[in-house]
Amino acid sequence: MYDLSSVLDFDALADVRPGSSILVSGPAMTGKRDIVYDMLADGAAEGDGAVVVTTNKKAENVVEEFRDRVPEFQGTQLRVVDCRGEDNPDPELSDGVSVHQVPSPGDLTGIGIGITNSLEGLHDSGRRRGRMALLSLSTMLTYTDKKTVFKFCHVLSSRLDTAGYIGVFTIDSEAHDKQTIQVIKQAFDGLIEIQAAEGGGREARVLGLANEPTDWKQI
Amino acid sequence: MSESDSPVVLIVEDEPDVAETYKLWLQSDYTVRLGKSGDEGLELLDDQVDVVLLDRMMPGLSGDEVLTEIRERELGCRVAMVTAVEPDFDILEMGFDAYLSKPIRSEQLHDTVANLLERSEYDSMLQEYYALVEKKATLEATKSSAELADNEKYGSLTEQIDEMRDGLDDTLGGIEDDDDFIATLRGLDNDDEE
Repeated sequence: MYDLSSVLDFDALADVRPGSSILVSGPAMTGKRDIVYDMLADGAAEGDGAVVVTTNKKAENVVEEFRDRVPEFQGTQLRVVDCRGEDNPDPELSDGVSVHQVPSPGDLTGIGIGITNSLEGLHDSGRRRGRMALLSLSTMLTYTDKKTVFKFCHVLSSRLDTAGYIGVFTIDSEAHDKQTIQVIKQAFDGLIEIQAAEGGGREARVLGLANEPTDWKQI
Repeated sequence: MSESDSPVVLIVEDEPDVAETYKLWLQSDYTVRLGKSGDEGLELLDDQVDVVLLDRMMPGLSGDEVLTEIRERELGCRVAMVTAVEPDFDILEMGFDAYLSKPIRSEQLHDTVANLLERSEYDSMLQEYYALVEKKATLEATKSSAELADNEKYGSLTEQIDEMRDGLDDTLGGIEDDDDFIATLRGLDNDDEE
């Protein structure tokens, strides 16, 4: 089981079944990225492997996010699939983190090969548990349609299930129409919704991982 | 069985003995067509064909050229490359769905054909699954939760979606294998381009 409740204090997140895929949905600037990195870093601190598929940040930024959170993490624990396709591969990363370059966020085959290599690499280095993040589905939706992104998420979730990993994916809830969000949600086992709270701050709730949706709670 | 109800396998192989052997192994389960060259293979190829077993090294059109033509026709059949030596490149990235290296045993041939047919089945189930999910999402985006609770169509859609998801999980062992994973994603990329 994976315990994500130290990042967001919900009972529904305390025993997340291996193979679960979770969508983190909220408007821009509500801290989705930080929540996802906290979840992966938390696992890394315990020895879990981590795979980050990034559509908009450089691999070195991903490594920094880890280094800031878990100073002692090992380079062999983290694999990055960089699908920005913007510039040449990053020069050698000082921390020994492997980076797989994919030409575009719309290249699903390339992303799949990157993830497969990452899972194999982590397995070969002895990691038997791990967490994968994809930031963000909103970028992918600008390259390809919701049907393709939905199918991709379903197939990827199945692959993560086989590996015994958990997956966390982010989406900007205000960047797409309501129907698109409803479609994408259904590819996931669980949903963490984030919104600005009345009177300032943020609040979150969890759906799908327990019998009933949780109440909104200040975070 | 008539050609209409058993899956169709097209063997493209220039060595007659080898081709006949494959045919002998497969003909009890599948409708088998034999092409003795790349050109003949392409003549026998239509939308009825489910799986193509393609010899890579043939006089005339090579296996790679035949593959390009198959993909250009967008027929949706699965193609296994048959080689004399194990390829040292990524055959999935080249656009083949599987490879078999000679000599091939009967069991191996059956397993490969069955796996490729299962992938096609997975793809069509995933398509059907998506169609249901999209209908459900449309209802969710336009109706309140109270309205949805009373909506018979919504209830039945939810049930069908659950059944279809279980069915997908049972197909291909729930994407247990990396080749199945990559080949399925490549299918999505190809659909998207159409």
